Amino acid sequence: MSTSTAAGRKPGTGAAKQPAAASGGGTSPGRGKSVLGGSKYSQKQLWFGALAWVIAIVFVLPYVEMAITALRPKDELTSDGYVPSKFEWANFVDVWDKSTLGDNLKVSLLVAGMSTLLVLVVSLPAAYYTARKRFRGRGVFLLLVLVTQMFQPTSLLVGLYREFYILDLLDSYWALVLVNGAFNLAFSVWILTAYFSAIPVELEEAAMIDGASRLGALRRVTLPLAMPGIVTAVIFTFIAAWNEFTVALVLVTTPDKQPLTVGINSFLGAYRVEWQYLFAGSVVAIVPVVILFAYIEKHVVSGLTAGSVK
Amino acid sequence: MKRHQMALAATGLSAALLLSACGGSDDKKDDGDKAAPGASGAAGAPKDGTIKLVVADYGSGDGSMQKYWNGVISSFNEKNPGIKVNLQVINWDDIDKQVATMIQNNDMPDLLQTGGYADKVVDDLLYPVDDVMSPATKADFVDSFTPAATVKGKQYGIPFTSSTRQLIYNTDLFTKAGITDPPKTWDELKAAATKLKAAGVATPFGLPLGKEEAQGEFMNWALGNGGGYQTNGKYTVNSAQNVEALNWVNDNLVKGGLTESNPGTKNRKDVYTDFYGGSVGMVNSNPTMIATLKKDYPNLKYATAPIPGKAGPLNETLGVCDWMMAFKKNGHKDQIKAFLDHAFSTDQQIKFQEQYSFPPVTKSVMAKMTTNPANAGLKPYIDLLPKAKFYPLNDVAWDVLSPKIKEQLGSAVSGKSPKDVLDQLQKEAEAAVAQQKS
Amino acid sequence: MAETAVRRAPTVVTRVKKALAPLPWIGPAVLLIGVVVLWPVVVMVWSSFQRIRRTGIVVGSNGTDNYKKLFDEPDFVAVLWNTVVWVLVVVAITLVLSLFLAQLFNQHFPGRRFARWAMIVPWAASVFMTAVVFKWMLHETHGAINTLMVDLHLMDAGKDWLGRPSTAMPWMMAVAVFVSLPFTTYTLLAGLQTVPGEVYEAAKIDGASTWRTYLSITLPLLKPAILVAVVINLINVFNSFPIIWAMTNGGPGYETATTTVFMYQLKASDIGESAAMSVANFAMIIILVAFFLVVSRNKETDR
Repeated sequence: MSTSTAAGRKPGTGAAKQPAAASGGGTSPGRGKSVLGGSKYSQKQLWFGALAWVIAIVFVLPYVEMAITALRPKDELTSDGYVPSKFEWANFVDVWDKSTLGDNLKVSLLVAGMSTLLVLVVSLPAAYYTARKRFRGRGVFLLLVLVTQMFQPTSLLVGLYREFYILDLLDSYWALVLVNGAFNLAFSVWILTAYFSAIPVELEEAAMIDGASRLGALRRVTLPLAMPGIVTAVIFTFIAAWNEFTVALVLVTTPDKQPLTVGINSFLGAYRVEWQYLFAGSVVAIVPVVILFAYIEKHVVSGLTAGSVK
Repeated sequence: MKRHQMALAATGLSAALLLSACGGSDDKKDDGDKAAPGASGAAGAPKDGTIKLVVADYGSGDGSMQKYWNGVISSFNEKNPGIKVNLQVINWDDIDKQVATMIQNNDMPDLLQTGGYADKVVDDLLYPVDDVMSPATKADFVDSFTPAATVKGKQYGIPFTSSTRQLIYNTDLFTKAGITDPPKTWDELKAAATKLKAAGVATPFGLPLGKEEAQGEFMNWALGNGGGYQTNGKYTVNSAQNVEALNWVNDNLVKGGLTESNPGTKNRKDVYTDFYGGSVGMVNSNPTMIATLKKDYPNLKYATAPIPGKAGPLNETLGVCDWMMAFKKNGHKDQIKAFLDHAFSTDQQIKFQEQYSFPPVTKSVMAKMTTNPANAGLKPYIDLLPKAKFYPLNDVAWDVLSPKIKEQLGSAVSGKSPKDVLDQLQKEAEAAVAQQKS
Repeated sequence: MAETAVRRAPTVVTRVKKALAPLPWIGPAVLLIGVVVLWPVVVMVWSSFQRIRRTGIVVGSNGTDNYKKLFDEPDFVAVLWNTVVWVLVVVAITLVLSLFLAQLFNQHFPGRRFARWAMIVPWAASVFMTAVVFKWMLHETHGAINTLMVDLHLMDAGKDWLGRPSTAMPWMMAVAVFVSLPFTTYTLLAGLQTVPGEVYEAAKIDGASTWRTYLSITLPLLKPAILVAVVINLINVFNSFPIIWAMTNGGPGYETATTTVFMYQLKASDIGESAAMSVANFAMIIILVAFFLVVSRNKETDR
């Protein structure tokens, strides 16, 4: 975030920092500046920071254990030491050779990416319209959307199989893109409707008076202001699609066409579990999502700042 | 206002109804061959076309099952280039539910390899073996499978993999506890377990009565007391012998703290993992353990022995068999026959059985494997095969009862009375029989 | 005559136009939902009234017998009760902890960005694998959690936490909370971003205490985000299948099963009954969400 936001910020806004932070609200636009100058943290903030860091570490610990187990030599899998006598780095290499992990990773990226795109393309206009217009059937539409979120895809497998059998999309990515898109639409529509509703129409109108077209006003004013919502929707959809398991298991049966979740599952054999590979694959699966998040989080911040400047 | 809202909702709904209504009568892909549109699969067609082969994956992530079958298919295609085989490999844990979904949607496989076939016979979905296999291939199967493979005098099940059970024990731990001979009776087993416990072994006897395989572990004990699931073709799950066996296990092993904690919730896989880790003294083993020990845990010292019974070691142990079956729906009889004769040839079979360390299902493979010294560890399991006792695999009610046993049996060692649990299961068995008759 | 006709025609046209106006905007969403979601729903409801053989062959109508059989299952009531406790406890704890975490991670502290990345990890990982690794860590003899508790002298020996319902349920709930926290916190965090800083300045000038500012300003402004978070959590936690499936399989017996797990188990013995359980599940979640929405709306009008 830092440089661009700090540069783009008007001098006056920095003053808002102190009261906001002290009152616990802390959305202060001033944080860009403080990152540049490390000494600006108050005692209280440092304490909060320490607590937050402890919690953050707790969040990561189970996955550290996952990684440690993935690095254990076979005969130390069930030893009770916290770390093995030596780390078997070869496990992380072997897991690629022993399975179709590489292909599965590509499928997961493709499916999660396309699903997210589909959700955005479909939900942005729907949410915008729903937020701005009191059209007939609005309530029914929002209810319909909410109801879709309630179904457990596991209970719909028979119907989903029939559907994609008839559409001739079994064993194809498109089935997964459609399913993930449809089942995750609800959250996006709802959260984006909430965000669009919160943005005053006057802002758009003002931009249009300034000579922007309606689309231009949308792009320059509304979308940036709704960016936190869009980012939340993107992350929600991407992660849900990334981790979807049951539907993919039934609809896609060719090993190298399966997403990562299903691919990793095959390390759980009928008679034995190859724990080190199971966990190695799982650690690998977490990385792309965290990268996406790191990348996108930067954008939400700049989106916000852009909004507040306006 | 209301009307408009209704109209909007109805649009989506009626579209869905319309589509699913089409689905009900949809037969467009009857032949299941997207890849070979020219091949019409009517019965009596020449040996061309596509057959759909669905198999279970017992393996462990390395795709070896896929590789094995691809090997079978490519060698088959060298001889029969006109028949395309579409392979689907499905995790063993999901295959039954998934195949039910396929059948419910009228998308039937031509060949299926999984755990049970009897339900499909009752619904008249299968070819009898005689229709899809040459007499020579059929005659090669080990005879003890035939009763379990036969329904009302006709054989439908084609044995594909089998396994028997042996007691496996960690000899280092036995030495440490001062035990020289493996136990032969329940009392000796209890005494050995007590010594192991005194020697500090975390789990003297591994007892996986959790969901994964409770029906198998329990049968080991029932057989040890002259019990079993059926007597003269009728379910006797709560027979006196069965209740006594389960009571003995619960009172002596479980309450005595000689098993892992809460064995009613422990799965076989996890107990095996602990055995490999050296914290389990003995456990009733599946032959795949031998291959895993040889390959991944060469330092662990172990030996096997017959499973102890109440009065002496079992000479008839539990046998488990998974089957291949051929579906009639698509009429690919000739293609199926050609493929099965190839897949069950000695060359193809031996590759599979040796790779996965399963006892063979055909006599010729058995002869080859038992003479090969590399299979010495497997030999005791193979030797048990001719006398193996199977689940009531040819009874369709078993397919309903088996998951219920897996789910409920663990309660008998988790606080509920063994008799109550077996009584409830007997009720489930009778309900399943009644339901399948109606 | 001509005049009235002329006058009437445009009204019909405009009415149709008006009714169709939302279509370009919401049409794709309706289409996607209609085709991909509602179609299998229709199949599910239909299946619940059919007699389906174990093979999957549909024999014919079964009336309401699947439902009768389901409600007569000896374990049905206990499973239902498990489900209610599971949903309420997990969602409530998740919400309270998330409100706290959202405030904390919204503070300005060194390395906040990295701490936020760390927070997303449990969400990024598949729920199933998280449950598997917790099961691994809870193993009686070699699980890291047991080892740690023994080393800290909290216990003398490792415990088989997942072997008994009385300890398995709390642990599984803890895992359910753990995997729900990142999403919930992040949603609330996004909600906090929309609270304008001036509001706090005004409160500051009024001399309100931090706690009062939070209760009277932040919380009400967070309401839309809380609403979304709770509804989504209610649904996800109710439908949550992988945690219980990976950690206890619902056992011993069905003592740690929820209705979602039960539905999956029934599929192995009776597909029609399983479909009936699915429909009942859907009815329950609708009631749950509707109840929550009505309650939250009433509160709003009270204010």
